[in-house]
Parts: sequence; structure tokens; C-alpha cells
Amino acid sequence: MIKPLAYNIVSSLGFSAQDNYAAVRRGQSGIVPWLDPAGTPIALSHLDREKLQDAFEKQCKPSQKYTEPEQAMLLSASLAVAEAGINPASVRTGFVLSSTKGNIELLGIPDHGLGTERIHLWHTAGLLAAHFNNPNLPLTVTNACISGAAAQIAALKMLENGLYDHVVVTGVDMASDFIVAGFQSFKSLDPERCRPFDARRKGLNIGEAAATIVFGKADGKGISLTRGNVRNDANHISGPSRTGEGLFRALSRTLEDLPRDEIAFICAHGTATSFNDQMEAIAFTRAGLQHTPVFSLKAHFGHTMGAAGVLESIISMKALEDGIILPSLGYEEPGIEGGLNISTATVHTNKRYIIKTLSGFGGCNAALLYQTHS
Amino acid sequence: MKKITAYSRITDSLVILNGKPCEITFSCEPGPGRLAEIYRFLESGYPKFFKMDNLSKAGFLASEMVLRSLHYDMESPDESTAVVFANRSSSLDNDKRFQETISREDYFPSPAVFVYTLPNIVTGEVAIRNKILGETSFFILESFDAEKMMIFVDWAFASAGTRRVLCGWTEYLDGHSDLLVMMVEKESDKGFDFNKQNINNIYRT
Amino acid sequence: METLIFDLKKQIIEALNLEDITPDDIDTNAPLFVEGLGLDSIDALELIVLMEKQYGIKLEDPGKSKEIFRSVATMADYISKNRKK
Repeated sequence: MIKPLAYNIVSSLGFSAQDNYAAVRRGQSGIVPWLDPAGTPIALSHLDREKLQDAFEKQCKPSQKYTEPEQAMLLSASLAVAEAGINPASVRTGFVLSSTKGNIELLGIPDHGLGTERIHLWHTAGLLAAHFNNPNLPLTVTNACISGAAAQIAALKMLENGLYDHVVVTGVDMASDFIVAGFQSFKSLDPERCRPFDARRKGLNIGEAAATIVFGKADGKGISLTRGNVRNDANHISGPSRTGEGLFRALSRTLEDLPRDEIAFICAHGTATSFNDQMEAIAFTRAGLQHTPVFSLKAHFGHTMGAAGVLESIISMKALEDGIILPSLGYEEPGIEGGLNISTATVHTNKRYIIKTLSGFGGCNAALLYQTHS
Repeated sequence: MKKITAYSRITDSLVILNGKPCEITFSCEPGPGRLAEIYRFLESGYPKFFKMDNLSKAGFLASEMVLRSLHYDMESPDESTAVVFANRSSSLDNDKRFQETISREDYFPSPAVFVYTLPNIVTGEVAIRNKILGETSFFILESFDAEKMMIFVDWAFASAGTRRVLCGWTEYLDGHSDLLVMMVEKESDKGFDFNKQNINNIYRT
Repeated sequence: METLIFDLKKQIIEALNLEDITPDDIDTNAPLFVEGLGLDSIDALELIVLMEKQYGIKLEDPGKSKEIFRSVATMADYISKNRKK
């Protein structure tokens, strides 16, 4: 078990975890009309570049040029590290980067002048550790959309095995033309704000964000990350399993014999693509969670890719702290075969466990279990 | 003590299975053509291979060699096997291909290329081929690191029910292959010790 | 129509990386998906790109294009009626 010491979220809804959580509580969405590289209308949770740069320069006082994803990553990590009050330069502190595409935008800018190594994820992670004068080799986890969960599981193992005393997990991804064009070619973007689990859901929105959790060893107080597991569907590299196989197994391994009625809520992946949401319903039902309240945060933030697992876990933990089940924004009409208990209003709860799930390309699925001790 | 029960190595000049070079006569230069030659040598009979990007092809072949040498049961779905790979260049080789499909002048983004712009797709391809339902993970490191590999394998074994981990370094960029794939088993009386020295020895062959 | 069908088969083989298959191996009237060539959801998306790139035809999502992609014959028929290049 490990414990979050501090969080940060840098997104279109604000530059602190508190601001982002407050915006979610108000039912606010950061998704705005946008255009894809071909000029077709899409909807995007867009991070304002000017605001980002201002906040970054104020907080990090950079002495060199940083790309936009690097700025978001460093701003988020630096705010969280400051709040946690840990020594980031200690040999007992480790850094984990969760990202799918990092600096991929540079591929489309041949004369970027930042060197050939800049596009590599290990280089981005190196900048993260170097910013804090950390002596350890940082780790990069890149497991498609479940990266942010896989990175937290890595932090759990690092701390439980005594490799470090503190682990800083930062997730980041931006909506480069590369990523937008790719999702568009998959016909998986909703041109309007997405509707997770709704009958009229048409696809996902891409979101830009960085998010950080600073973890330390659990002390039996507050919230902890108890367990997490990853399992594969072994079905298709992009299509979710029709039986929810991998997610069902990841959930079963993570929940073990925990009575299902002790779980306050599931913060689902809920991308609002037709197949993903249906697959999740099947997996939740198979895992005995058909009555557990479920919500998706995608209509607030869009799908923030490498940051999603970290960002959505933070919002979920803050809801758990407040003893609240959040409503699933964008959901109106039941649209899932078999049915799920989709949360439609803010409801108080005194249950102590919550689940975060994610699923991604490559057939991977992750389930994380958090609990509160107070 | 964990054991390496089988391993394969693919580089630009070598294809090695369990210490023995495979007798393949290459007619192509290192790169995609050579990967197709290894595929034909192995007689895998898996046409989906040709739909994969180069990283997935290379990782698929290295895994195929290891699993076949162990007579791995690829017909029965099994959650006790994990697939944990790492590399330096992520999916950059294929990312460059996708970038070509989205140039301003000739904008036709290809979904079949885009889907491989994630390095963990290779773990998915191996899982699909062999009905592996266990953990699949992908990590990025600047260079091959035996100690890190041992840590990743430890983490995979810590996930309940995992009995063996197909792990390795699967690097492919601009026509150059550098792969080491190993099967590591928790309880086996066969094979040799999964330790830093042995991993480095087989990587350096 | 004969030439269109032959060209289309060549384009499908190239776009979908169908190894060891020649235009003659593809039955013009056989189903493209599940049976026949055993194509999947990514192939369907790639066929949408092919239609736009080669023939200037913009199609909606694969669900709505099912009938068009039933066989090479149905594709060729649709192309001949709707092509813009």
C-alpha cells in the first residue's frame, strides 16, 4: 500500500488539482469546438498555450527552451513536488513518466533545432528528473491508454520493494496533429462533447493535460493505493474484447474477495466509443459490479491519453476524500446492453473503497483499488 | 531462483535461438525484407504478420522462436503468462511512416499505420497469437539494462497468478533490429539462472 | 468494369498488406469480411481511406459502409456510380 502525498492537474480546467476538482463538482467541461488538421470540426479539451507558458515560467524559471508537453509535464510535477514537501533531488526519490506520444509533434517540424534525441520518451523523462537534479534513471511507462495506471502500479512496486522512499508519477500528452489525425482516421472522434455510456454516444474527445501524484509509503491514514493489476484481452489490437476478458480479469485480481457492496464507485475508462463502453459494462457485470455506481470523467477532460490514468485517479481520490460519488457528465439516456448503475447526481457515500479502470490499444486493461482509512 | 528457460536474439546480422544460430541464408539487406525471411524460415503460417509494423514483426518473431522452442500451448487461453518488453525508440520507426500519411500535400492518415504508433502493440500481438491473458507492459529506457529487466520481471511476478514472464528488449528503428526475448519461469528445474551476468552474456552474443 | 475490378483488387491487396494473394485469388462476389479474405475492423477503416484516396469518395463510419464493402463487386459498383476521380 502506498499513499499519495500531493497531487497536481494541469488541464483546460485549471492548473491545480483543487481547481480541476472544483470545476468537476460544478459540472464544468473543458471541451471546446476545434478543428482537425484537415479543417474538419472536432471537439477538444485544449490547454491554452499562453497560460501554460506563463504559469510554467513563473513556477519553473527555465534556463532553456522547452516544448509544450515538456512545459506541462514540468509545471505539473513541480507544483506537486512543492506541495508534497519532499526532496526531489534525493537518491531515495524516483521519477516515473507516463506518456503515449510525448514530443511526437516534433516529427512534423523537421527544423525544430532541439536535437535528434528530443523526440524520444526516455529523453523527456530525463528532462523531468534533471529539472529536479534527481540522480536516478527515470522510468517511462508507455502502455497506450492505461499508461497512467501502469505507472502507478510501477510506483507501488518501487515503494513496496524499498527501491525509493518517494515516487513522483507524472502523466502528460498533448493533442498533436499526429494524434488527432490518427483518431480521426479511426472514425472515433465525436465532433461534439462526448457522451460516455449514453445511447447517443458517438465517440471520444481528445484532451490535453499533465497530472502528477507524489507517492510515499502508506501510514494507515488518509487514502492509499492498495492494489493494481494489468491483464490482456488477447483479442484484437484496437477493438475491445466482446467478453471484457482482460478488464474482468484485471478487476478480479485487484478486488480479490473484497465484498462488492463496500465499493463506493468505479471511475470507468468511459471513452464514449460504442464498443469501449459496452465492453466495460460486460466486464463490470462479470466482476459482480453491476450495481456499483459508475461514472466517466471524459466529458470534463476528454481522453487525456498518457495523463488519463493519473488525472482521473486524482479526481476520484478527491471525491473519496469528500465522501462523494460524482455524476457522469454527458450521460442522459441508458445506452448499454445489460445496463449499469451510471451515476447521475452527486451522492454522499461513507464507503471506503473506489476503483479506477482503464483500457487501451494493444488489448491492455488496468484496474486500481484505492481505499480511505479515516 | 528464477530461470531463463529459452531465449532468442535478433540483430541485423544474427538470429539466435537458445544459443544456436539459425541457419537462414538472407538474400535481403537488414530491415523489413529480412524480417519476412525469418518469418518464412519459421513457417509460422500467420498472414496477420504482414499487417504488422516492423517493431511488432520483430518482436513477434523473437517471441515465436522462444515459445515454439518451449512447445508453448498457443491454443489454450492462459492468464499465468505475462509479456513485458522494453526498448529505446518506442514506436518511432512506425511513427515516421504515419507522419508521411499526414503531410499537408498528401493528407490521408492511415488507420492501419496509426494503430502501430504505440510500442505496446507488439505485446498485444504476442498475446493475441498465443492467447496470453496475463499482464502486458511496455517500458522505455535509454539503453539496454539487465538490472532494470530483472526489476520489471519481479513486478510482473508480483501480480497474482503469474508463473512465467516473456520479457525482453525489443528495439527496431530505421531498418535496424536489436532484440533479446527470454522466457523467465519461477519454478523450473530447466534453464539457467536469471541474473545480471547471464542476461548480459546472452545480450552481448 | 473489368478494369476497375482488377485495379480495385490490386489496390486492396496493397492497402491491406495481403501477402501471397494476387488479384486472381480474390473472388469478385465473395464476402470481404469474416469469410473470404477475413478482413477486420482496421481493414474496413483502411478501405475508407482507399475510397477517398483513389476515387475521391468520402464515406462515413464503417458501420454505414457495410453494404458497400460487402464484396469487390459491390465496391466497384458503388465506385462507378460515385467516383470523383
